[in-house]
Amino acid sequence: MMNSIKILMALTVLLSHTVCIAQIKNAQSESVKIYGNCGMCESTIEKAGNVNKVAEVDWNKDTKMATLTYDVGKTNPDEILKRIALAGYDSDTFLAPDDAYSKLPECCQYERVNKSETSKVEAAEDHSKHNPMTKLPTEANQETNQLKAVFDNYFALKDALVQSDGTLASAQAKELLNALNAVQMNKLSHEVHMVWMKVMKGLVFDIEHIEETKDVGHQRDHFNTLSDNMYQLLKVSKYEEPVYYQHCPMANSGKGANWLSKENAVKNPYYGSQMLTCGKTVETIEN
Amino acid sequence: MIQNNIYKKLLPIAIVLLVTNSLFAQKVVRYDLYVKDTLVNFSGKERRAIAVNGQIPMPTLTFTKGDTAEIYVHNQLKESTSLHWHGLFLPNKEDGVPFLTQMPIEPGTTHKYTFPIIQHGTHWYHSHSGLQEQIGMYGSMILKKRDDDPTFRKDIDDLPTIPIILSEWTDYKPENVHRMLHNASDWFAIKKGTTQSYSEAIREGHFKTKLTNEWKRMLAMDVSDIYYDKFLINGKNESQLSQFKAGDSVRLQISNGGASSYFWLTYAGGKMTVIANDGNDVDPVEVDRLIIGVSETYDVIVTIPAENTSYEFLATAEDRTKSASIYIGSGIKQLVSPLPKLKYFEGMKMMNGMMKMNGDMNDMGMNMSLQQMDMNTVMYPEISGEKKPMKMDEMPEMEMENMDHSKQGSGNADIVTLNYAMLKSPTITTLPKDAPIRELRFELTGNMNRYVWSMDNKVLAESDKILIKKGEIVRITMFNNSMMRHPMHLHGHDFRVINGKGEYAPLKNVMDIMPMETNVIEFEANVEGDWFFHCHILYHMMAGMNRVFSYEEQEPNPLLPDKEWAYKKLQRESNQLHLMAQNDFATNGNDGMAMVQNTRWSFGTEWRLGYNDMHGYETETHIGRYIGRMQWLMPFVGFDWRYRKLGRNEIEKNLFGQKSTKDNRTQFSVGVAYTLPMLVILQTEVYHDGNVRIQLRREDIPITKRIRAGFMVNTDKEYMVGLNYIAGKNFGFRTHYDSDMGFGVGLTLNY
Repeated sequence: MMNSIKILMALTVLLSHTVCIAQIKNAQSESVKIYGNCGMCESTIEKAGNVNKVAEVDWNKDTKMATLTYDVGKTNPDEILKRIALAGYDSDTFLAPDDAYSKLPECCQYERVNKSETSKVEAAEDHSKHNPMTKLPTEANQETNQLKAVFDNYFALKDALVQSDGTLASAQAKELLNALNAVQMNKLSHEVHMVWMKVMKGLVFDIEHIEETKDVGHQRDHFNTLSDNMYQLLKVSKYEEPVYYQHCPMANSGKGANWLSKENAVKNPYYGSQMLTCGKTVETIEN
Repeated sequence: MIQNNIYKKLLPIAIVLLVTNSLFAQKVVRYDLYVKDTLVNFSGKERRAIAVNGQIPMPTLTFTKGDTAEIYVHNQLKESTSLHWHGLFLPNKEDGVPFLTQMPIEPGTTHKYTFPIIQHGTHWYHSHSGLQEQIGMYGSMILKKRDDDPTFRKDIDDLPTIPIILSEWTDYKPENVHRMLHNASDWFAIKKGTTQSYSEAIREGHFKTKLTNEWKRMLAMDVSDIYYDKFLINGKNESQLSQFKAGDSVRLQISNGGASSYFWLTYAGGKMTVIANDGNDVDPVEVDRLIIGVSETYDVIVTIPAENTSYEFLATAEDRTKSASIYIGSGIKQLVSPLPKLKYFEGMKMMNGMMKMNGDMNDMGMNMSLQQMDMNTVMYPEISGEKKPMKMDEMPEMEMENMDHSKQGSGNADIVTLNYAMLKSPTITTLPKDAPIRELRFELTGNMNRYVWSMDNKVLAESDKILIKKGEIVRITMFNNSMMRHPMHLHGHDFRVINGKGEYAPLKNVMDIMPMETNVIEFEANVEGDWFFHCHILYHMMAGMNRVFSYEEQEPNPLLPDKEWAYKKLQRESNQLHLMAQNDFATNGNDGMAMVQNTRWSFGTEWRLGYNDMHGYETETHIGRYIGRMQWLMPFVGFDWRYRKLGRNEIEKNLFGQKSTKDNRTQFSVGVAYTLPMLVILQTEVYHDGNVRIQLRREDIPITKRIRAGFMVNTDKEYMVGLNYIAGKNFGFRTHYDSDMGFGVGLTLNY
């Protein structure tokens, strides 16, 4: 299968090569440098640059030089080089978008000699946000509010569902369960204790189900009831910052479902990116 | 960076300054604008356009608050013109709306506009006559703050500024574009690749979605209606500002002068800081991208992060077909990734969910407002993930083994997109507390199939001026019950957008309102006159999506002696008749029709002309009126004539056993046409001899991108099936079988 595809690709490239050269009118050629590494780069570069009957790119992976042959009446080298840059390859005229470059396969990630250092500290991609592990509370926090760990892990679980990441959600559910088990009931205030008794069983039930599957759909079903119970708990015990109780009318097969979030901006854990901003804040629980 | 407190304290002073502003108005700034026909070549073809002082866009007009503007418009066109100063506070007679605030500026004449500049900010100006704005009559208008202005913001108002005006170009005449829209031509969809035909639906696994969509009587969905050949920034598709270097911050003063395009704005050099909107300062907000509605303005600060590099500022049309770029800085050009193509079937699926069977939109209780919940997000691959794994031939082979599947379809949830709820005025914007409040409510309504756009299902031609009193506060609630977004613009006033920022509600003069949204705006009626309030999508405005706010007991306007007559002219302009015609020159005869329609009325005639008496000749003429918001119902009166020589079988019987002389017949009829689910038209007709005919028909079933199937069947035992291949804007190839005339192949011409 792989081989036949390769052969097919090679054939296509060969064919288009000969055909194009033959058909470009008012042809003019120019030699330019395009940065890249390997044979794979070559096919990507040429494919991005070529336009049937208008432009033809022939890149040499050793010299990094490309011959651009094009119809002067229809295009110019800048247009060709721009297309190639958008596919991830720098030239002396254009720098590829960073995301296009980073999507290139590892072997193609050539050295970007034309890219100047940014003169100030850039707000680089903050990946820490995506890693809920960094949000895990330390032991010390438990003194102030031992339920904080529970809520923090709940928020982390919610974020995993926003990302539609079933594996991560399962891992977060495990952490949440640990946090839940670590709570010393006798240290809760009377009011919180009463709610705790009421919701404890349901919380454990849902969390265990979320943990034992990696199917996001199933996890979301349980997250619905989990969120209801968590809401009751948070409402009496409070959190150190305002928490937003949010509602999406489309979730749960149109019956609607709720969740808790530390941000007012809606990021829907029931749909994730499919319908990220669907929902609204129905209640703000002040601390 | 910004010290709010200081501004609070200084606000009263600002108001005093505003009021006593005429005292400072010593400097007169004069511009002479020569409006002239020209030929342009944006796309490789030469076309007519209108240039002012020889340029497109029109020259940037710059004033400082406190100046007096004197603008002489010399009309060297063969048609009348006008100029409207968008977003400016001025006396009504200077507002530039022909037949509302002045008479049109006739060819060969000069008109002088003059008004004091009593505000600052990024604004723009454009023709308000017909469709002139589409072919070049737009330009930036920059009102500078005085250096001693109490609202002067250090590190913002002292940055270098660059006026940016966005626009679009079509090689078609705008009048023709307008006509094609009303005729539900799908040529633009074909050009854009957004036909959303059944075969495309099946390929993407969305057959059911398409079926539901047509069941709900919707045509293919899109975020914009027109195919444009080029998008332009300051009149160019690509340009560079090489005067800037690393570390510089630049304030872009962006106006959207496009006739019908919203633009996404993105920047290769990182985040952008939004600092003003519609000419009014807002507290700085950092965003990754924003969408600028038709006729809105935004001031945005961008910085140049590295040496010897210029950064692409990219304006992408909302439909993402094309874009325009300006590179900021000097040196190698750092690109930003283009926005990926929209996932139309996802959007269609979403629309299906939101559309009730009666054509009403249902927001499912989500109280949508202020662009916060963009339902179109389901169509944005960069947020909701790519639609499918890449095609085999697009995938570099090695990647397949170590591909991380979790990346697929995950998209990015962390892109910060600006919305109206994020805008906050740096100063208190509350209106006088003791003023009487006038509450108004508008439902924005529309009908894509016939391109009728209205408010409360009434176009301007069906509405009187809305009377308001000087001194009262007008509070308007708008609900968008149509499928398209509308940038609603109010002339001569800024309104507060009630967006949860309380006393610091931002001031705007254009409110973009997305489908299903409900938004509230309020303004103080403080300058008398007749003020236009309309959707700023040019073709929606010309379809009648307008109102006029008229101050009671206002002074007469010396430029417009007969206001009543003028208002009728204005009403007529946005309810024009559109001609549509088609003929199939086939081997078995001519099949065709011609129709003239406006918002409510339809005058149409159809014909089937054989090449000999045996095949016969037949015409049907209908005069009908469309009823209801969705216009699914059309009662009509008709006249039929037909002649045919068959020799035998002179008398025919229909399904009801009624007899008719098929071969020579002249009949009057009354009937009603109704659009059924699946867009099939059911036509029931009674002829003056008592005969009844019931007919089902649909001509535009999208089979593939360019192939349309059609059928007709009626109780006279006549039927037709056909296929039409759309080859060009005005022609196609058709093959059909007709029960009267048999099988035929032919060339279809349409206008």
